[in-house]
Amino acid sequence: MSFENNSNGNEKEERKYSHERNKSDELQLSRTDMNMLIMNYLVTEGFKEAALKFQQEAGLQEPALCSSLDERIMIREAVQGGRIPEAIAMVNSLHPELLDNDRYLYFHLQQLQLLELIRAGRAEEALAFASATLAEAGANDANALTELERSLALLAFPDPHTSPFADLLLPSHGQKIASELNAAILKMENQEYTNPKLCSLLRMILWSQSELDKHNIKYPKMTDLANATIGQPK
Amino acid sequence: MQQFTVFMDIESSRSYIDELYSSDAVKVMEALVTLKNSVIGSNRQKSSVISQGVVPRLLQLMSEESLDPNIRLEATITIGSLAKGTPENIDSLIEKGTATALVEMLKTVPLGSKLAEAALCALRSIFSHKPAPVDALPADMRLLTRLTQIAREDSQEARTSVIRVLAVWCSGTVEQEALTCAGACSAAAAMLVVPPRSVPSPSRLVPALELLAAMCFKNPNVAQVALNTRHGDKSIPELLMCLVSRDKPLVVALKAAKCLTFLQRAGALPADDSRIVFGALPCLARLCTKENTEDIRASAAEVLAYLTEVDTSLQRLAAISNHLMSSLADIVNCQSAAAKQGAFKCFASLGANDEDIRKMIIETHGLMVHVVNGLNNPDPCVSLAAVRCLHSLSRSVQQLRTTFQDHAVWKPLMQLLNDSPGPELLNVGSSTLCNLLLEFSPAKEPMLDQGAVEMLCNLTKMSDPALRLNGIWALMNMAFQAEQKVKQRILCCLGTEQMFRLLGDSDTRVIMKMLGLLRNLLSTRQHIDAIMSEYSSQVMQLVRQAVIVVLEGSYPAEVKEQALCILGNIGDGEKSKDLIMANEDVLRKLVDYLAHPESKLQEAALFVAGNLVWRGEAGAAARQQRLAELGLLRALKLLRASHHAAHLHDKVKTALAQFNEFT
Repeated sequence: MSFENNSNGNEKEERKYSHERNKSDELQLSRTDMNMLIMNYLVTEGFKEAALKFQQEAGLQEPALCSSLDERIMIREAVQGGRIPEAIAMVNSLHPELLDNDRYLYFHLQQLQLLELIRAGRAEEALAFASATLAEAGANDANALTELERSLALLAFPDPHTSPFADLLLPSHGQKIASELNAAILKMENQEYTNPKLCSLLRMILWSQSELDKHNIKYPKMTDLANATIGQPK
Repeated sequence: MQQFTVFMDIESSRSYIDELYSSDAVKVMEALVTLKNSVIGSNRQKSSVISQGVVPRLLQLMSEESLDPNIRLEATITIGSLAKGTPENIDSLIEKGTATALVEMLKTVPLGSKLAEAALCALRSIFSHKPAPVDALPADMRLLTRLTQIAREDSQEARTSVIRVLAVWCSGTVEQEALTCAGACSAAAAMLVVPPRSVPSPSRLVPALELLAAMCFKNPNVAQVALNTRHGDKSIPELLMCLVSRDKPLVVALKAAKCLTFLQRAGALPADDSRIVFGALPCLARLCTKENTEDIRASAAEVLAYLTEVDTSLQRLAAISNHLMSSLADIVNCQSAAAKQGAFKCFASLGANDEDIRKMIIETHGLMVHVVNGLNNPDPCVSLAAVRCLHSLSRSVQQLRTTFQDHAVWKPLMQLLNDSPGPELLNVGSSTLCNLLLEFSPAKEPMLDQGAVEMLCNLTKMSDPALRLNGIWALMNMAFQAEQKVKQRILCCLGTEQMFRLLGDSDTRVIMKMLGLLRNLLSTRQHIDAIMSEYSSQVMQLVRQAVIVVLEGSYPAEVKEQALCILGNIGDGEKSKDLIMANEDVLRKLVDYLAHPESKLQEAALFVAGNLVWRGEAGAAARQQRLAELGLLRALKLLRASHHAAHLHDKVKTALAQFNEFT
């Protein structure tokens, strides 16, 4: 293939661009790769039944189910269900050193407990609890102190759910902490990837896009990650 | 059914603590789990529980072999959690015998069990405390063999814990040798293997590297063993070489380079070994660059300083690196004492032997200012390191004449030396002063007011010969071409008695320098006469001592030469000539030495004789006659006729010419 020597540089760029755009559609992706990514996601996040079913349906080999998968599932359920002491007891049984090593994580779990009390309207108990247990972490860590203050601030509002800090009472907060705990357990077990590899892929896309944007390069940009929508180049 | 209460306060904790003493195993177990869950994550709870006195009971439950292993396990885990508390918590634990109890447990507990792992984790936590209770672990071969077995065979967690404990415990030669006998080298080697295409895990590698370093430090025997220890097809040095590469985590590369350094300094690897030249050295230089954290840079500089401390080829190799000097200059500028110390030590090592490197170091932007600041630094480790740096640089004559004149480095140095210095500082500091005094100019006279002479005289009285040498050498340098008042000061401060003692010193070098001092003091005509007139009898005695004893004794030729030169200088003084003439044995010695086989000594004797017979001085006739009576003339004529003394003939003729009027 030869390019004509064209004095008009723009035209050449356009042609080059459209040539490459077609090329990306031809890139081969292996279905096995995709299945492995999905499997990894399910196992890491603790969707055991789904993992087993998917393995069956996709005809994959026995996945590397880490021994703690069952425990991690139960722990996650306890955390998201607001049964924090139960979750803590299970973590301590599984990995007694984990919460001692990661005091910030311990604080987050205690914080969830506090939020449960606040959600249930038990304000006095909440304050007693905060001063008895959470104050310690707040004294040692500036971030913890800020988060503690935000949590306690909820008590100042007649309806915490409409306050500026209402995000703390949403289930998404509990899920976030549950994932934090899950990743910590996996790290303790020396698992290489404590987050699903899908996470790394998405982060890679976001990083690459921001680098390209910095250099003002035109490219097919993924504007909506959840739907993988690729916008038109401007 | 266990109640999951929201939180525990002090009152309710008492109830379950009481249950620990129950005879019902189930109740004990429940109490333990509740206790465990209350202390994990909270230092406040740990302190509270310890102050309520549960530790002895926990130790009991942990150690009692007849108990249910689950109870023992929970008790051990709880102890382990307490050991992650505040330093005060750990102090309490140690005081109540926790470390000893854990070590006892490890003797009998089945390998590979959860109980063993929990005990090791607890012990590891306690050993991370400073000071670690190393006494709790005796150098008992059976115990150590058991521990190294764990380090080879048990779970990842157990292996890492035991290696960390041993690394802390290995603090001296006894421990190093004991561990080697118990097979710790091969256990460590096993942990250093990174399977291909896998991510190297620092938490696994670092403890093993630290253990290896602790074992090999200044121990040639252990280093040899490590050299020959293999795991699979790779020896330890080969395994270490893999770990110093660019793709490894920084702290792993640093520790691996440290191990290779210790192996080299302990004599197991030669300085030109490829694993040093292409492995450890470039790795350490790379870790000194600005993009690394201050901790890494400080440690890398310190290790590099140790690696290049002695060998000139390594110093040159390191100096070739085009960024190292500026990287080190940047490290000197960092805030922490460790960084400053590491950088100064590294400069000191690099500049120890090679003049070109010293030049490079001095030319590093702003370094002298940093050195002066370092000398003034309140932290003694930093000031010592700065003195070491100055010491290396002071070996350069050129720098003495230029850079050190511009920067008043001697002021802070004098201050350090006057401020009850420790033995190391005294040694390096006085050596530095000695060098600085080689270029003693009027600008440095205020040094006298700072007590330099007194300090140096004190040094000559120390039991360490190296310090005595530094003291007398520095005084000798100070006296060289100095003004009369300086010489007087030295003479007065040192005193003829001390000089006598030094002339009889066990160390020949000290005698040499003492003679050198005398020679310098007794140079320049006016000075000689002034000194001789003021101190005449003592100095004459001293000179007799110097000359007779030295010339008669079996001292090396250069010592005797010094003695003769002193005599020659005295012979130059107007009035002091007579003092020599009055001593018949000195004169006889002189005549003998004109015929000495050693040419240097002949020349020196000739120098003396020439001064004594010089006809331009009053009383020359009488002197010449006296000397002729003692055979000087004959000796001179023999010398003139001798073929071996051809190079001296001019001087001989000149001397003989003085006699012409009388023969």
